[in-house]
Amino acid sequence: MGGAELIHLPLPVLLGALLVLAGCWLLALKMLKLALAGEQEPQQERDWSVPVIDAAAGGSSIFHRWDVRFKLVALLGFAFLVVATRSPWSALVAICLSFSAVLLAGLPLARSMRRLLAMSGFLAMFLLIMPLTAVPRPADTLLVFSGLEYLPFNLRGLQLALAIIGKACAVALLMEPLLATASLPRTIEGLTRLGVPEKVGQMILLAHRYLFVFLEEARRMATGMQVRGFRRRTSIATLQVMGNYLGMLFVRSFERTHRVYDAMQSRGYQGRFPAPAYFAVSVSDWLLAASWLLLGLALLLFDRLWLGGV
Amino acid sequence: MHDLNRLPPIDFDGPAQFELRELHFAYPNGHQALRGIDLSIAAGDRIALVGQNGSGKSTLIKHLNGLLPVQQGELVYQGQPLSGDQLQQARLEIGVLFQDPDDQLFCSTLYDDVCFGLLNQGIALETAEPLVRRSLAAVGLEALIYKPSHHLSYGQKKRAALACLLAMQPQVLILDEPTANLDPGQENILVELLRAFQGTLICITHDLLFAYELCQRAVVLDKGQVHHDYTMAELVSHPPSMREHGLDFSFRLAGLSTQEMPAQQACNLPPETPPSIVPELKSPVSAVVELRDYQFSYPDGTQALRGVDFALQAGESVAIVGENGAGKTTLLSCLMGIQGGRGEHLLEGRALDKKQRQLLWRKVGMVFQDPADQLFCASCAEEVAFGPRQLGLPAAEVARRVDAALQRVRLDAYHDRVPLHLSGGERKRLAIATVLSMEPELLILDEPTAGLDPQGEELLLEILKELSQTRILVTHDPFLVAELTQRTLVLHRGQVLEDYPTAAFLADQNQKALNLLAVGYKQVRSREILELQHQHRHSHRHRHLHDHPHRHGDLVHSHPHEHEHDHPHAFTHVHGADSAEHCHRPLGGFHEHNHPGHEAEEHTHRHGDDGTSRD
Repeated sequence: MGGAELIHLPLPVLLGALLVLAGCWLLALKMLKLALAGEQEPQQERDWSVPVIDAAAGGSSIFHRWDVRFKLVALLGFAFLVVATRSPWSALVAICLSFSAVLLAGLPLARSMRRLLAMSGFLAMFLLIMPLTAVPRPADTLLVFSGLEYLPFNLRGLQLALAIIGKACAVALLMEPLLATASLPRTIEGLTRLGVPEKVGQMILLAHRYLFVFLEEARRMATGMQVRGFRRRTSIATLQVMGNYLGMLFVRSFERTHRVYDAMQSRGYQGRFPAPAYFAVSVSDWLLAASWLLLGLALLLFDRLWLGGV
Repeated sequence: MHDLNRLPPIDFDGPAQFELRELHFAYPNGHQALRGIDLSIAAGDRIALVGQNGSGKSTLIKHLNGLLPVQQGELVYQGQPLSGDQLQQARLEIGVLFQDPDDQLFCSTLYDDVCFGLLNQGIALETAEPLVRRSLAAVGLEALIYKPSHHLSYGQKKRAALACLLAMQPQVLILDEPTANLDPGQENILVELLRAFQGTLICITHDLLFAYELCQRAVVLDKGQVHHDYTMAELVSHPPSMREHGLDFSFRLAGLSTQEMPAQQACNLPPETPPSIVPELKSPVSAVVELRDYQFSYPDGTQALRGVDFALQAGESVAIVGENGAGKTTLLSCLMGIQGGRGEHLLEGRALDKKQRQLLWRKVGMVFQDPADQLFCASCAEEVAFGPRQLGLPAAEVARRVDAALQRVRLDAYHDRVPLHLSGGERKRLAIATVLSMEPELLILDEPTAGLDPQGEELLLEILKELSQTRILVTHDPFLVAELTQRTLVLHRGQVLEDYPTAAFLADQNQKALNLLAVGYKQVRSREILELQHQHRHSHRHRHLHDHPHRHGDLVHSHPHEHEHDHPHAFTHVHGADSAEHCHRPLGGFHEHNHPGHEAEEHTHRHGDDGTSRD
């Protein structure tokens, strides 16, 4: 560990830290569940659908009014600049900015938190793996836990992990004002105007629409298997049954594709979706886009020049 | 009834809207779907296109909308062949309502879906928007205009799909099984909407009551040919002809009381038809399954079951009815052990814990509404063997059960057939066999006859009546409830509203005290059809006393006079279900009705002093 500073700690400190981390995660999960659950009257059929991307498209915030093309360029540009930073402190500033954007857009916090929570399991691995696997450098500080001397905990690795987690959270939070403040067709139309091939846009729209139908079909078929006694096991028989299941889902989806195409043709489809003219550019669109890009640039400069980047 | 070259029943002047001459079509696998179709369709025609599965109905409507090309023969729309620019124009004027509304709602919101066709018609967005709103308002969905279609119920989706077509103001509307899987409430709404449609209506359906309500003309296809082309009244009044094409639904009319028939001539009524034969209730020794104060809430907080108390005795057959969202599906999921709520769940008197609930599949079998949800194997035999294999039975016993189950559902020779290639009725019977092979103590049937043709329905009913298992039936069909169950459980907003004998429930339905099943127009139409099927004409002598100008040689004058005629009269007769003998009241004494041409006939009667006369 040539030249690195070593700090010896008892093992319970590591275990305690892990317990606190797991406890915080479980608490967040519980609180989010409570926040999302509300007493509902069973007046309508249950909605089995997965959450939609553009659930809050009907608002009137500055993000809702912003021309979608400028919004895409500015927020995606900002996201790239955030990703280019290196310090966890810059990532923290980026999280604050993204969080402010969510508040400004008037989006429900529970939805954003749910997105973060969905990522949290994966990101938490970085907290453990990166400090334990970062190659020690002379200026590094290593925590050595009694009984685990062969596995030093590198604080530079921890810093790297925190920076990655921070940047991931900032970008994930930014996706809410980016995608939830306009309808998906409008966002896709904006992407098409920016040069994304039209066919790709159509495929995204159709995939988004039929994802829900596909999931519902898959769920019903899985229930059909379950009530006839099927349980997933590590056996060849399970593999065969799962093969049949996936094959049948594929056949059903393939047949549906034909039927959907027939339905589209029968309403005059000739290769492209009719696109209503949505867009009208104003000065505020330009100003807002410039502000976000400048903010991102300032953050990058702050990171590289002030903090020196790790 | 088999005049293959009969003229269409509805006369029309001017050119036909569709003219099909010698239309043939074969699929790439060699299957000849159409064999020389000759058909003229006038603007404003309302046609029911009926026939068995594989008769060529779907292939024909795909030609009418240009989705399939003309291989041989001629297809003319508005005087021009359906190809090129005419085809593009026709697609904007001909609306097709597909069977599964999810196929038709492919945009992200209802607004975009309804707008899609309008923008393809070249209508500007500003003009299209009010049309979108008007169409959605017409189907009662204006409040959901910006909702994604996967947030709608099945009935709402069906109406939304119709709104997509109505917004385009089509001249022709083609419907493919429009009432499949709709509950009665949604079906009534759909019928009202279609009644108001002014253009040409072409409807593929197995539901002849629905077709009779909306269509005047029936075109019966058989093996790719037009077998009959006549009025709906002619079709429904002739059961043998319907039976020949698997369309005879007369068994559904058997339970109707002739006393309520509107026919004035019916007489000498036999005692009212006894209630349907249902299995005798076995002595209630122990409840096979029981729920006590059972509650269930979904993770999002939706409370689907609230304090449900329900016990099912061995051998009992119970119907569960209720509107969409009443909690029927959740209750079934709980009974199957797929979902677990709060409260007591007992099987044969023993309370079940979570682990035991997961083993309920060994005792409780369920047949899903859509058989495609439970068929996934490569052959019918494998499909039926799947359950017994999961039970860990030896191979010989599995083989025995497969044979027995397939035999029971009349699919004896289907061992090696691919389930995916079976007809709808065969798939449904196969789904039942997959459950029967597990020999469950309790059998749950979810809308067992949904989407079946009348022949398939009748066969399924016969099979279900033979089963001895304790049964739970979820359905919106009053006929099935009456035929298959002794007890009815009415669910409303997660609670048991009523739990009483089926006879009492049906009485409630008839008195509209609890109108969950009855489809109003169907009751009326059923009686009309029953009357049509029992109408015939006799000639007989009867007397008239009437007053009209008449002639004696050169003398023309008018006064009341009496004489006897011999001419045919329409009668509605009654007879037992298995008997061809019938009776009707002889018309005695005087009676009056139109007598075309009678005034011009030579009258020979004596003239009295009072001016009256007798022959």
